[in-house]
Amino acid sequence: MTERDFRAMNLSEVQVSVELVTPDVTLNLGPQHPSTHGVLRLIAKVDGEVINEIDPVIGYMHRGYEKLAEVRTYPQITALVNRIDWVSGFANEVPFMVATERLVGVEAPERAQYIRLILAEMARISSHLMFLSSYPLELGAATPLMYALRERERVLDLIEGVTGGRFHPNFNRVGGVKPAAGAGSDQKKVVQDLPEGFLAETREAMRTVLAVCDDMDELVVGNEIFLERTKGIGIIPAERALEYGVSGPNLRASGVRFDIRKTDDYLPYSKFEFEVPIGAVGDCFDRYMVRLEEIRQAARIVIQAVDTLPSGPLQAKVPRVIKVPRGEIYVRAENPKGEMGYHIVSEGGRGPYRLKIRSASFSNISILPWLLKGQLVPDIIAILGSLDFVLGDVDR
Amino acid sequence: MAMRMKAPGIGLAKGMWVTLVNLLKKPVTINYPKEKEIPVPRARGVIALDTDACTVCMLCARECPDWCIYIEGHKEMQPPAKPGGRPRSRATLDRFDIDYALCMYCGICVEVCPFDALFWSPSYEYSEGSIADMLHPKERLTDWLKTVPKPPALEKN
Repeated sequence: MTERDFRAMNLSEVQVSVELVTPDVTLNLGPQHPSTHGVLRLIAKVDGEVINEIDPVIGYMHRGYEKLAEVRTYPQITALVNRIDWVSGFANEVPFMVATERLVGVEAPERAQYIRLILAEMARISSHLMFLSSYPLELGAATPLMYALRERERVLDLIEGVTGGRFHPNFNRVGGVKPAAGAGSDQKKVVQDLPEGFLAETREAMRTVLAVCDDMDELVVGNEIFLERTKGIGIIPAERALEYGVSGPNLRASGVRFDIRKTDDYLPYSKFEFEVPIGAVGDCFDRYMVRLEEIRQAARIVIQAVDTLPSGPLQAKVPRVIKVPRGEIYVRAENPKGEMGYHIVSEGGRGPYRLKIRSASFSNISILPWLLKGQLVPDIIAILGSLDFVLGDVDR
Repeated sequence: MAMRMKAPGIGLAKGMWVTLVNLLKKPVTINYPKEKEIPVPRARGVIALDTDACTVCMLCARECPDWCIYIEGHKEMQPPAKPGGRPRSRATLDRFDIDYALCMYCGICVEVCPFDALFWSPSYEYSEGSIADMLHPKERLTDWLKTVPKPPALEKN
């Protein structure tokens, strides 16, 4: 080694050993950002492309439903609770009504329970179709949105045909479903039962929903770009998911076979055959596949329920003014987003003393600071979208 | 669940095939202002009022979850129905306003009305430039009565 070489080597060492101190850049995502599903604000501290710390700020959608419920009667609260997660309005009403019924001590007739079940599963289908189509949109594929929303429209039309509302059905009543009154000149004497042709149209709609699931299989799941963006990204291990209280499809994607439809008896799910799909790893791709499979299972439940729909009254005998005795109860249900529960504290009277709403999305996104740490900036949206939350459900 | 691709681009080609199949189908959308969608009979579009049936009992205004119905009335003495009878007092409706800017379309008022004075109509074209115009007075609510459809037939089962 000549002296010149030696000096050059030393020089280069000197240059390398100079430490580059780069400050973390704070990146603000939202609250008005087209890809954050509403008014979620994420404050990310990024080092280049790597996220060192992320801080979700919620509360921009806070409407205070727990407080509003304290000054309203039980029938009035029904109109409020279907606005919590507006993508699956009907599914929100069911646990609240079941909780109220258990406090009052009435049980909905079988037909009413079946109608609740059919419409709740349809709400699940419409919610999951929204996810299946909007998630590829966030990753850059615009076409699947159109195909899935076309079938979602059919499902929403069916819900509207029965309840009168597409997103806010307000169809559950204490002791059953809406028995009379509604739209029409001599409607008062006519019950608000299923309209003619509903059963046949539901079967047809379920057939097209299953067809669009197959379309999604080919359009999205087989796509190399989609696989690259989702496989191995945002892995949630099962024990971590349980620690954070993640529920619903997000938990099942991590490999935990837990479904409140199987464990609780808020609706007669035990009479129907269906599988609970679980994922293997818990990455974004598994979360997508679990929801895709859940649509197929939900369609299976709906078809079985439509075939075995019993006849009978729509509402049990309840007084005109619902008075709930003193007591408290917690009833949870498997909503499209996860576990949704209502804790009602009643001091007697027409309205609750306190209503605590346990919404799925809130617990699901509480894992974000842990999950997004160390991930790359382009993966934020891929991970965020795969958790499938609704800001109304987060803030309430 | 793992999907191994035999050759790169097959997934893309399959997706393109789905797109091509859908391209040849008829569109499901309609050209809104020119063509109009007919809502289902039960659709909750706007509330119609039958002033003759209303007895100013205020049940709807009380049960409304956001209290968007404003009612005022007074008692009027009616002449006796038969000669020799006594005059009766009858409640008369002075004001019946629904503020559609506040209404959340839950339908509780229609449901609690004991005298069938309120009906749902599926009409939906009543947006206004000014929020104050969303307050429909009793005359306007009565006009909606013409648009109330027949209730749908029920499922046989």
